[in-house]
Amino acid sequence: MNAPARHESYVLEDGEKPVELIEDTKIPNAATIKIVKQDHTLGNMLRAQLLSMPQILFAGYKVPHPLHPYFIIKIQTDGTVTPQEILEQACTKLIGTLSSLETKFRREFSYKDMESSGAGAVTSHVEDPYGTNSGAWGRGREYLDF
Amino acid sequence: MNTQLQDDLEPTVRIRKLERDRVNFVLGNVDLAFANSLRRVMMADIPTVAIDMVEIEINTTVLPDEFIAHRLGMVPLNSSNCDEAIRYTRDCTCLAGCSFCAMMLVLNISCHDDNTLDVTSDHLEVIPYPVTEDEHMPIHDDPGEEMSKRGPYFGHPVGKDDPDARPVLIAKIRKGQELKIRCIAKKGIAKEHAKFSPCSAVSFEYDPYNKLRHTTYWYETDIKAEWPLSENAREEEAPRDDEPFDFNAKPNKFYFEVETDGSLGPQEVVMKGLAELQNKLASLVLGLKSGADLDIPEPVHGHMAEQVWDGGNAAGMGWNPPAVASTSWTAATVASSSPGRGGAASNGWSQNNDSPMGGGWGAAPAANAGWGSPNPRANGWNM
Repeated sequence: MNAPARHESYVLEDGEKPVELIEDTKIPNAATIKIVKQDHTLGNMLRAQLLSMPQILFAGYKVPHPLHPYFIIKIQTDGTVTPQEILEQACTKLIGTLSSLETKFRREFSYKDMESSGAGAVTSHVEDPYGTNSGAWGRGREYLDF
Repeated sequence: MNTQLQDDLEPTVRIRKLERDRVNFVLGNVDLAFANSLRRVMMADIPTVAIDMVEIEINTTVLPDEFIAHRLGMVPLNSSNCDEAIRYTRDCTCLAGCSFCAMMLVLNISCHDDNTLDVTSDHLEVIPYPVTEDEHMPIHDDPGEEMSKRGPYFGHPVGKDDPDARPVLIAKIRKGQELKIRCIAKKGIAKEHAKFSPCSAVSFEYDPYNKLRHTTYWYETDIKAEWPLSENAREEEAPRDDEPFDFNAKPNKFYFEVETDGSLGPQEVVMKGLAELQNKLASLVLGLKSGADLDIPEPVHGHMAEQVWDGGNAAGMGWNPPAVASTSWTAATVASSSPGRGGAASNGWSQNNDSPMGGGWGAAPAANAGWGSPNPRANGWNM
């Protein structure tokens, strides 16, 4: 009845900021970045990408509570770049990987389309999964509940 | 430096099998997290249309209204080009649904025969969305191009136009029983309700020999004989018996099989999945860039992210008003096909007790029409 709308967990509200940066005061070159209305899909991918970059000393993410639709990612760099910049680089790099993958998929799909065109794989009719409709009940009788 | 090597290589993809409803492919030279994100996004982030509201006028079958409403919600509807062909109701200018953000389907059937009649998804008819009263306002100034983007079968139950495809059984009725139902189909993603997922199954495997020891198998006597080796094992080299454990090894080859329910084709699912991931990353980059200059709402934002990122439209119309209030139909019963919408308050959403509204479950502010929920922004969520 008073449940929040389902889309509130993945759609930014009016004026809501998607990213929030909290710089770490106790660790050099470190920051915690809160990314709102995103989940493991983005968090884990970013973390993995960051860890593969040589400037990174630490990268980790967590979703503090499963019902709170945000995750935080903590980054420490070696000082050559700020955590913010390296996160941006990681995003760009991932976008590059994804778009190169997209071209490859498109090519593969077009090959497969050519192969299978004309072969029209249509599954044949098997028997009725819900049981056959044989045998009418009470044929020719009237029904009281009609 | 295995990681370095892997990063320098371009990702590879090889489609092993492409059928009408499934694609089987091998992804190479990518990270485990990357492959998993692709899997997650294909399952949960791709919009489709599905029946979301059901108005039951006559139901004299043995099945209760809720039961039928739920079954109708699960029926896959043809949703190709969903991005452009239909809006989210929360982004639309209308109040509760219009021809741009909803589809209407009717089911009107009665049995006059001695045989049991199977009511199936083939009996669902798409009808043009009726012009309602709240449509007089902005809708005419806004000649959306959604309609022209729809294919001829957009919104139709999957397989309705194919004599070889078997329909989905909704109910079985006997002589004298009748069903008269109106359904409103809306666009959504699987994070809202699983019925919106275009995938019926996504299988995902790596390392069939378990060389990486990411899992352990319980076994009775002989681990080799009982090992459930999959077909994908043929793609990889079996480990030698004396092979030492390589603790630096990383998974590198991922075997996917994406099976769709027919609402979208497998090709569309994969391509949309890749595009959606890029959208997520692009809007994050944008958020990082605009984070410096405060208080400037990014104008490009909604465009970049294809509506997914659009905040609710004006006046918080993303909340669907209860269906009864929004229509003039003489509906005998109004049942929602998604649980948690207008049903009893059995929800798993936590509310922060520290929030000023703490514990104010029924104490809705008057402004919040129709829903006894505190202002969603005061919920103590991520503010």
